[in-house]
Amino acid sequence: MKLKRILSILLVLAMTVGMMAGCGKKSSESADDGKSDGAKEEIVMWFWGAEPYAQKVLNANLADKYNASQDKYTLKIEYRNSVDSDMTTALAANKGPDIVYGSGPSFVMPLVEAGKLEPMDKYAEQYGWADRILKPIYESGTVDGKLYSLANSLNTVGVFYNKKVLEDNGWAVPTTVAEMEKIMDEAMAKGMYASVTGNKGWKPVNENYASLFLTHYAGADTVYKCLKGEEKWNNEAVVSAIEKSAEWYDKGYLAGKDYGNMNFSEALQMLADERSPFFIGPTLGYQWAQSFFTDDKVDNLAFIPFPATDKVTEPTYTLSVCCTFSINANVAQDHKDEAAKIIDIMMQPEFTEEMTSVWPGYWGTPLKDLSTVDVESMTGLSKSYMETIKNIAAAVNDGNFGYYTNVFFPSATQQVFIDIENVWYGTESASDLMDKADTEFTKELEKGLVPPVPQAGVKAE
Amino acid sequence: MKKSAINYFLIAPALLISIAIILVPGILTIIMSFTDWNGISPNINFIGLGNFQELFADDVFWKSIFNNVKWTILFLTIPVALALLVSALLVEKKKSRSLYQVIFLIPYVLAPAVNAMLWLNIIFNPMSGVIGYLRTIGLDIGSPLTNMSGALYAVAAVDIWHYWGYLSVIYLAALRQTPTDQVEAARVDGCNAWQVFRYVYFPSMKSTFKLMYVMIIIFSFLAFDYIKLLTGGGPAHSTEVLGTYAYTFAFSALQVGKASAVGLFMSFFGMIASVIYTKLSKNEEIA
Repeated sequence: MKLKRILSILLVLAMTVGMMAGCGKKSSESADDGKSDGAKEEIVMWFWGAEPYAQKVLNANLADKYNASQDKYTLKIEYRNSVDSDMTTALAANKGPDIVYGSGPSFVMPLVEAGKLEPMDKYAEQYGWADRILKPIYESGTVDGKLYSLANSLNTVGVFYNKKVLEDNGWAVPTTVAEMEKIMDEAMAKGMYASVTGNKGWKPVNENYASLFLTHYAGADTVYKCLKGEEKWNNEAVVSAIEKSAEWYDKGYLAGKDYGNMNFSEALQMLADERSPFFIGPTLGYQWAQSFFTDDKVDNLAFIPFPATDKVTEPTYTLSVCCTFSINANVAQDHKDEAAKIIDIMMQPEFTEEMTSVWPGYWGTPLKDLSTVDVESMTGLSKSYMETIKNIAAAVNDGNFGYYTNVFFPSATQQVFIDIENVWYGTESASDLMDKADTEFTKELEKGLVPPVPQAGVKAE
Repeated sequence: MKKSAINYFLIAPALLISIAIILVPGILTIIMSFTDWNGISPNINFIGLGNFQELFADDVFWKSIFNNVKWTILFLTIPVALALLVSALLVEKKKSRSLYQVIFLIPYVLAPAVNAMLWLNIIFNPMSGVIGYLRTIGLDIGSPLTNMSGALYAVAAVDIWHYWGYLSVIYLAALRQTPTDQVEAARVDGCNAWQVFRYVYFPSMKSTFKLMYVMIIIFSFLAFDYIKLLTGGGPAHSTEVLGTYAYTFAFSALQVGKASAVGLFMSFFGMIASVIYTKLSKNEEIA
């Protein structure tokens, strides 16, 4: 009996000690320490759970290079599959990494409002970011005139096509939507998919199409007015654009009945296998395409901006970014300085070239001058991707861009546009959905949660 | 006095854990449900019943509750019937039942993410899965996960496939507690297999059966993982349940106040089930 009691007390003590140990903090998750086991201090950056080859190339071109450049700090990149929710939770507790990964300016806005991010203006001046980065992208990272985030890469929604499929079927590369619709009708008649895409496993894929139809059917000027609160979302142009997307869905132009049963990887595999002429999706799709467009298929893939509609005739790109980088406000000053230095490495054309040559699709740095990036030395999809990024940069500089929901729309409004599938499935009218958008947007506008919106149609100086 | 102090000391870890990770977050959730907190900002505004009013006017919220109720009914019938049948058959198979139990437990011990990937790739995949194969032989069918009327049942089927084996093992363990002399006596008295189960085995496992029934109700209102992994609540909210809806509010729309309000409803239904179970157990003890 006595032995049992002693054993019980020992167990209780062990549990208590275990609990206390469990409450201790991991150095890599802490915002205010960062001492690694050696003499070097750790600068921590969180990133999404990229594929192993992508992690390897980022480690080599960023962490290894930075670590070799000095002997006081060491950059540690942590790859997390749930980086967005991890980040908000950690920052809410004044923890988190030194370099804050974000999925876009709209993700950054609440963090700025909560005082979790460091203004980067002094670093912008030190490194000349305003002069080097495309103005609309630079502005999208500002709040009340202060810079809080820098985008790592341009991204847009457009049309990937399989050259061989078009050639074999005698189809020309479409320049208007009418031509594209004709090709898609003929493809379906031949038993192919009109286009391949899908939101399996990631419902926010829907916003690619919401953004695309807003840009090309409602028009960037209308969307700009809505984002500025000068016009309601439930206006004729926007409702009509949403209805047009539903028309496309009904006709089977968005992978037919498999939209909900296909992800981007599978869609690109089908495109490579010549089961469709088109894949309508974001340029970051290049990173998955390189798994399927290999060997003699490499030259089959090409990308064009969404073809001309009656409303938008010039090549126009729905402007998006792959991710943003910011600096944690709750870390030591020297860590902030180093974080800025590391972010600046990612804003160099050399970095763009090194990353893109191995990992196309994610590192099209939004620089005004990409002329030093040697496209000719690139091979395969890297070359195609870099050419596309240069085209996007030129168009953005000329003001030919639209607004991607995950960049320029506040969170709750963005969520309404992700629900565009309610209209596609007929459970809600486009007008009702836009009423919801108005309700959410009004609240977010009042709270100051709408990201800064660069005006489209204005050529940069 | 000394004994009492030791008792308090012994329950201290469990009590501390309960206070730290159940009571405090629970109270905070209740408080947050009356605010417009976005999960990050230090500025928290009390908005009274605003979140609840918005939820009551929200069709998707009601759809989520309805789906949770459907989910509960599905889980209270199909896996329970299946598990009862299989455990009743296995209780007599003294040599082979261990092997069956291991086989039945395999889906349960695999991570939900693994099970979901298996089904998405082997069954529902339009290229390499069963769906893809059926198409190659001329049956042009779509995935039930993309069908508004069938998606919830398709997801439930995967979750039931993962769960029923575990339930069988629990029921079997309960059935094995039945005194063998009672079973033999019933057989000597001429009872057939159904009568032996109905009048001997089942009464002895009744308390386990009731407990699992309540647990199923509680877990059904907490359903999240398979729905999130297989459909994300879609298409067009047709598989939305309170768990996935709360998650969307908290981590996508950054409306943690509203997510807390949804969370309270999830807990509310579980609490009702718990209270009923406690009441029934008490009556049983008195009886």
